[in-house]
Amino acid sequence: MPIEFKKNRAVFRDEVSVEEAEGLLEWLQGKPTASADLSALSHLHTANLQVLMAAKTGISSWPKNAELRAWLEPALNSGE
Amino acid sequence: MKRVLIVDDAATVRMYHRSILESAGYAVEEAWNGIEALEKALDVPFDLYVVDINMPKLDGFGFLRELRQQPIPQQPAIMVSTEAEERDEKAAYQSGANCYLIKPVRQSQLLSHVRLLLGEAIQ
Amino acid sequence: MSPSTKRPLPPNPLLEQFLSEARDLLENTGKKLMQLEEAPDDQEILNELFRGVHTLKGNSGLFTFPEMTRVLHAGEDLLGMVRSGHSTYSRELADRLLDAMDYVGALCGEIETTGEIDASRTAESQQMTEALRKLMPNPISSVDKVAAAGSNGESANSAVPSADDPGYRPSPLGSIPEAVRMAAIEQSRHGDQLHWIVYRPQRECFFHGDDPLNGARQTPGLIWGRVLACEPLPSLAELDTYSCLLGFDLLTNAPREELDQYYRYLPDQVEIAAVRPSWLMNEREEEERPSKASSTASRARSFSDDDEAAFDRILAAQRQILLLEDRPVWHAGRLRSVAEVLANLSQAVGETSARADIEVALEEALSTGHNTLLMAWLDGHKDLMLEAGLPCSEVAKNGISAVHVESIANIGSFLESDPGKLATDDGVKFGRRAEDASSGPRSLKVDQAKIDRLMNLIGELVVEKNALPYLAQRAEVQFGNRELSREIKGNYSVINRIADEMQDAIMQVRMMAVSFVFQRFPRLVRDISRKLGKEVQLVLEGEQTEADKNIIESLADPLIHIVRNSLDHGLETPEVRRACGKPETGKLTIRAAQQADRVVIEIIDDGKGIDPAVIKRKAYERGLIDEVTLERIGDQEAVNLIFAAGLSTAEVVSDLSGRGVGMDVVRSAVEKINGTVVIESELGKGTTIRISLPLSMAVTQVMIIESDGQLFGVPMDNVVETVRVPRSAIRAIKQSLTAVLRGRIVPLKSLNTLLGIPTVPRPNSDDELAILLVQTGSEVFGLMVDGFKETIGLIQKPLNGFLSGLSAYSGSALLGDGSVLMILNVREIV
Repeated sequence: MPIEFKKNRAVFRDEVSVEEAEGLLEWLQGKPTASADLSALSHLHTANLQVLMAAKTGISSWPKNAELRAWLEPALNSGE
Repeated sequence: MKRVLIVDDAATVRMYHRSILESAGYAVEEAWNGIEALEKALDVPFDLYVVDINMPKLDGFGFLRELRQQPIPQQPAIMVSTEAEERDEKAAYQSGANCYLIKPVRQSQLLSHVRLLLGEAIQ
Repeated sequence: MSPSTKRPLPPNPLLEQFLSEARDLLENTGKKLMQLEEAPDDQEILNELFRGVHTLKGNSGLFTFPEMTRVLHAGEDLLGMVRSGHSTYSRELADRLLDAMDYVGALCGEIETTGEIDASRTAESQQMTEALRKLMPNPISSVDKVAAAGSNGESANSAVPSADDPGYRPSPLGSIPEAVRMAAIEQSRHGDQLHWIVYRPQRECFFHGDDPLNGARQTPGLIWGRVLACEPLPSLAELDTYSCLLGFDLLTNAPREELDQYYRYLPDQVEIAAVRPSWLMNEREEEERPSKASSTASRARSFSDDDEAAFDRILAAQRQILLLEDRPVWHAGRLRSVAEVLANLSQAVGETSARADIEVALEEALSTGHNTLLMAWLDGHKDLMLEAGLPCSEVAKNGISAVHVESIANIGSFLESDPGKLATDDGVKFGRRAEDASSGPRSLKVDQAKIDRLMNLIGELVVEKNALPYLAQRAEVQFGNRELSREIKGNYSVINRIADEMQDAIMQVRMMAVSFVFQRFPRLVRDISRKLGKEVQLVLEGEQTEADKNIIESLADPLIHIVRNSLDHGLETPEVRRACGKPETGKLTIRAAQQADRVVIEIIDDGKGIDPAVIKRKAYERGLIDEVTLERIGDQEAVNLIFAAGLSTAEVVSDLSGRGVGMDVVRSAVEKINGTVVIESELGKGTTIRISLPLSMAVTQVMIIESDGQLFGVPMDNVVETVRVPRSAIRAIKQSLTAVLRGRIVPLKSLNTLLGIPTVPRPNSDDELAILLVQTGSEVFGLMVDGFKETIGLIQKPLNGFLSGLSAYSGSALLGDGSVLMILNVREIV
């Protein structure tokens, strides 16, 4: 499963596609304090990124993939 | 000699602008509403337009919009008005004006703008 | 010949134009105000009113007439309020506006004579303004507006963006990590062309299977990129997962073709621009690089403040235009004009090579619909001013590294959030927006003097042509050349026709509608009826009826007099009318119509009428009629006695219509222009005054008669018949001579006697006397003369100077042989 929903953390792995976005949104709605673990992420569909940005979810671990991290970190780190 | 078209329904204002422009060496023609102005613009090429807003038949905005659709060289247009709100200026640009001045325009101010818009060397 | 008036001032064409236009505007405004009384909600009238006052105010602003501008300003504001519904129409409002217009008219009069407004007018101007402003709810302080009106476009210092500003956002290129930036600079220095990409996916792109983040990551030659929200993301509850609100900015060193190829399926979601190395650099680095700036600094010129302000302003304006997001049909034309302006600006500062670059940028903008390159050029060339030595606005100087690079990024939203950043000048703000209104048909304005000159020339032509028949005669009689005579006659008839047509044409030009006179009546009636406490409804008919200018102008005074009389003595007060069983509001009709070659004007009121008995008695008392007439005279005839001099039926002399004795003045004024006036009246019902006037003072047909060797002219209007009566048929009854002609007794008068010539009429060889039957009004009598000559048409000129006291003559004219013909005033000589 691309996103594993633990008690208060969503763990992202490999490639997370567009189908996950709805589920992610609903879960985050119910867990406003949850965080996201992106360490094992290799790609994230834009829709999911959008959800994370909208929810302003705290990130517990950044992707190991440096290039991906370079994209995601500025966007998810409070940003503008 | 550069040709300027003055578009305004008040004869006094037309005369005022004409005297300033003619003494600076421009050839001036007049129109007193947007329709007239359009006919003249299509007839002979002008290098610059000085356009009032409030006119019967077709106002300044309407004239500019039409002008900007014509298959002629699109030359600079100064819109003159008594309204100094930002939204009026924006409306002027939207319709196709390149510059927006408040009436009455001082002679030196008008001439500076005209010269620059026509690409004449600044003295 | 029109008399030339010597003005005490040098002619000022602009001022004259202003005054001329002001007259028209004031006239129309007055008219509209009267119309508004009948229809206070008519939006069209309100609009026209507003526009008129607005234009007048604008025109006055070209001069220094603060007293006038102030009042007009207040009037404009007031009308603006009524027009927008914030203020309601009331009689008081109308009165104050009318007063204000009268005041402005008076000022114009003063300006016309002395060239300026007297200082004593200032107080009045304040009062007028106050009076108008008081009628406005929450009156806008005029002080602010006047103060604002004083300044005009002086550029204010534009806001300087700095990191401390709350709205300040670092530019996207400015947020490139240092290392990346340096590397990028290096790359570009080595000749790599860097590109900046603005990728804004469509909202529905997910449905097309797009994953923009993926696309961005895979962009060839990617050096750096970032994600951003194109608009503030909504809360989770409102977020539409499948609507893409994110955007991407990318810096890449891939060649343009490759990028185009990569993004070939998304051309309208992507903007690609070539990056200039300077955009990556900050100020310090900028200075260090070998730039053109230093070498061209020597080109620095000094520019006037106006030039500088104009340059900034124009540049800022083009920028604003490029930022417009609408894409109307005329967008392309708009862009072209901007390109032209930018090219011209460059040319003005000596950068003639810029035109080519701008052309390229323009093509880009036209084909892609995005103004990226034009904006980039504009911002990138703010240093144009530096190079040319122009001092540039604060924004440009400080923002070279930051602001200008934003041109290719999301400038739109960036600037929308903080418009102060734009280098716009002057914060003059007004609160209104004038609107369009229709105005009447335009016509050519011709100076009165020019028309008069034409008239005179044509008049001379008409006279001169009359010489040709004489010539023809001489040719035949004196020189025995019948051929020539015939030819002259032939030519004469052609010239005659043309001259007549020209005559007609110029008369047409001089034709004027009676509305010229009528238009003052609504106001007049309103004012007078109010003063007298009477309710009057004025009906004007046939306003477009035309007559010669002179006639129309001569009509004004008599008409006013008649109307005043009607209002004063004819129409009753509402109480009296009610008691008589009449409607409380009296009706006054002024009607004009053309009948054949005359214009008939009628003034009809439904007032109390004229009492013939009173008139008769008064006339008798004054000795104007004798007892016999008193007995015999009919009612209508009696009523017309009112025209007799010295008769006054007014018991009370009111200041409005003088002594009520003006009717004789009216009659003589009317007769002076060859008109007639009669009265019809019915006691208790009303009075009708009918004026009949000739259409034009054109060519008069005149019969030339001879008496005592002198020639005189008698207008054909007055001529009934020419007869020759044997001397034996002439009888003397009492002191007068008479003859029986056509079954009636006709009194005879010798013209010589009438003119004081001591000769008797000369009979012809058959012992017959030449008698010209003439009529004046209803009288017919025979004028004994020596002989009749031809009838010709000529233009009668009134007698001027001391000759005008000769009532026997109505005018004079020039004959073909140069002699002067005196034209008899048949009515007067009897």
